[in-house]
Amino acid sequence: MDYLLDVQDIHTFIGQYHILQGVDVHVPKGSITALLGRNGAGKTTTLKSILGLTPPRQGSVRFAGQELRGLAAFDVAALGIGFVPEHRAIFRDLTVEENLRIAERRKGDYARKQAFIFSLFPDLQRLIGLSGGALSGGQQQMLAIARALVPDNRLLLIDEPSEGLAPVVIEHMMAAIRQLATEATIVLVEQNFLVASQLAETYVIIEEGRSVQAGAMRDLVNDKATIHRYLGAA
Amino acid sequence: MNTFLRKNLLLLLTLAVLAGFLAAAGRNMETSDFVITLLRGFSVGALTFLVASGFSLIFGLLDVLNLAHGTLFMIGAYAGWTVYVRPDTFIDLVTPLALLVSGFTLADAWRHLAVRISMTGRGVAAWIGFGVAALLLAYILPRYPIAMWNVDDYAQSPVAYSLAASQGQVTPPPAATFTEIAPGVAVLGLLISSAFIAFGLAWLRSGGQAGRPLTWRSFTRVAMVLLVGLGALIFNDALTAWLFALNSNWLFAIAVAVSVATGVALGGLMEVTLIRPLYVRPIYQLMLTLGLSVIGTELVRAIWGRPEFTMPKPELFAGTGAGCPATTFGDWLTHHCSTVILFEGRVRVYNEIFIPLVGLVVLISIWILLKRSRLGMIIRAGVQDRQMVEALGINVRRVFTQVFALGVGLAALGGVLAAPSIGLSNTMGESFLLNALIALAIGGLTSYPGAALGSLLVGLLQQFIIKYGQIGIPIPFTEILFKPTPPIVPASTVLLMVIVLLIMPNGLLGKKE
Repeated sequence: MDYLLDVQDIHTFIGQYHILQGVDVHVPKGSITALLGRNGAGKTTTLKSILGLTPPRQGSVRFAGQELRGLAAFDVAALGIGFVPEHRAIFRDLTVEENLRIAERRKGDYARKQAFIFSLFPDLQRLIGLSGGALSGGQQQMLAIARALVPDNRLLLIDEPSEGLAPVVIEHMMAAIRQLATEATIVLVEQNFLVASQLAETYVIIEEGRSVQAGAMRDLVNDKATIHRYLGAA
Repeated sequence: MNTFLRKNLLLLLTLAVLAGFLAAAGRNMETSDFVITLLRGFSVGALTFLVASGFSLIFGLLDVLNLAHGTLFMIGAYAGWTVYVRPDTFIDLVTPLALLVSGFTLADAWRHLAVRISMTGRGVAAWIGFGVAALLLAYILPRYPIAMWNVDDYAQSPVAYSLAASQGQVTPPPAATFTEIAPGVAVLGLLISSAFIAFGLAWLRSGGQAGRPLTWRSFTRVAMVLLVGLGALIFNDALTAWLFALNSNWLFAIAVAVSVATGVALGGLMEVTLIRPLYVRPIYQLMLTLGLSVIGTELVRAIWGRPEFTMPKPELFAGTGAGCPATTFGDWLTHHCSTVILFEGRVRVYNEIFIPLVGLVVLISIWILLKRSRLGMIIRAGVQDRQMVEALGINVRRVFTQVFALGVGLAALGGVLAAPSIGLSNTMGESFLLNALIALAIGGLTSYPGAALGSLLVGLLQQFIIKYGQIGIPIPFTEILFKPTPPIVPASTVLLMVIVLLIMPNGLLGKKE
């Protein structure tokens, strides 16, 4: 099968700690893939390793047939990978508009995507002049996703989109992510299994730095034993 | 409005207290003294700001405490002096520098070539290239003719040349000529060694990665550099004579431009070669910049000598004849007086009006750069979260280099502006670096407006204390007239810093960490 993103047996160290000890992630084009696992299992590090923010020492990361290992993070991102990090990482001192403009990869990206972004997140249009620090958690999460949509990204890496959000906002977020999936391939890290199971088509379970199981989400939903074993109570 | 008041209550209170002090100072002084002291405060504040703003930009984005900033300020002053008083030396230096740089402007092409010729043992080959280049340079550079002053001979020392220049006696020193080495050999040798070094570096670094597509830009760049270098060689005498005959205002403008360019080049070079490998080891970085500041000072001592000397002011600010000191702006425009009468006091135009004005212009320009340009946006974002900026596909490393170069360029601008006012000395950088650090602590380390406010406060406080050293402060309810002694001047700013930091640990405009 042809994968848009093909991560094979990566090993990543942070300082002396061997955080990832062999992670495989195969992401078919046009799908939503969820990375599941307990806190500290290495899901976020996997995303950062794909992007080159914590470069893996071994293994290979292929994106659309091109090897990413050895490239600097900004070169990886420029190939068309958008990143929505944990805790959003909105630039507090920049206005909402500047937070979007800074993501331009080519001049005019923002002007071109404006209408699409505001149709997805109508609230942002109202907040456009506010500084990023003044937004609520949900608004920041929308802005973080919107920021990844400004350039033409083929792959979106989204880390914990539902974290700390009210249920109503989570609903909105899920609807937005579903709509995005029609345009781009998505890799999702999600603690909330309910959210993950409703969004993703495929999953990879990461346990203590290793990918231990992968498959179709509809099979996992019925596999109570696996859910209990790797993800705790579901 | 209310929330603004509540948030900034401490800041407003502090400013009110300071304004109170200032008003009290004004009441105990003649108006003319007060105005002059105020303007001098602005002047010192502006120079401090030029050091502090660059320092704070670099620290904010790169997390590098550049302790060499004061030395770079000083180097800016000496570079400016060289262009202004000894343009012949400057023109002589242009050729070898341009030839040495020429190889590096072809970096893109070398990278391409390096990927093509990826043979084994390229490390050895590259090092042989470096060796050949070093031998060539060791042969050529000592024999390359550069007309220079002589620090050991008073008649030809910088001090003597400065004196002559300030009296308007511009007698070009004898030009240096090619005697020990043929010009063709020198030019060719420099070109070859530059190419060897640049290609060797590209070769060592080519780790199997394909280079970027080759463009015409690198070739136009090398053509420009060669044009400048060879032009300066062929028309050396004509250019030197032209610069010596040039109106001193224009020459000063050129000196400022060259000085800033020197700062930008030094800053860029420093970041790329020395700072970059040490981002993961901040303590080493601190030691490195400290060491560089010492090396820089010793280099300046070796080249320009230890004695202090002055830099004559440009004509625009040096008039003394009839009609001076000027009383109106129109008078000043016609006579270009060095001093004007303001509130019945004599104010030096260059020191007390021109420098603060330049400081203000820089303040506003950098503010616009930060707020309106894409580079500014990236800087503001990068101060908060570098990784995220990189994750957006932005080459943060290049921005680091640009910011470092900009910061050092600002320091060099400060140095060359300060030179005609306070003179050149080996220690001029230290006091300004110290002032700048105190100003940043007062204003808030990574806050740009904080740097401006802190610098202004430091400048004003120092000048008022100096003034009170002359006229004395009457202590209320006693007959005592307290005259602050000179050591109190720097101590007072430290005291202000301590008080401000006790009340507001992040400085007046700093953000909470």
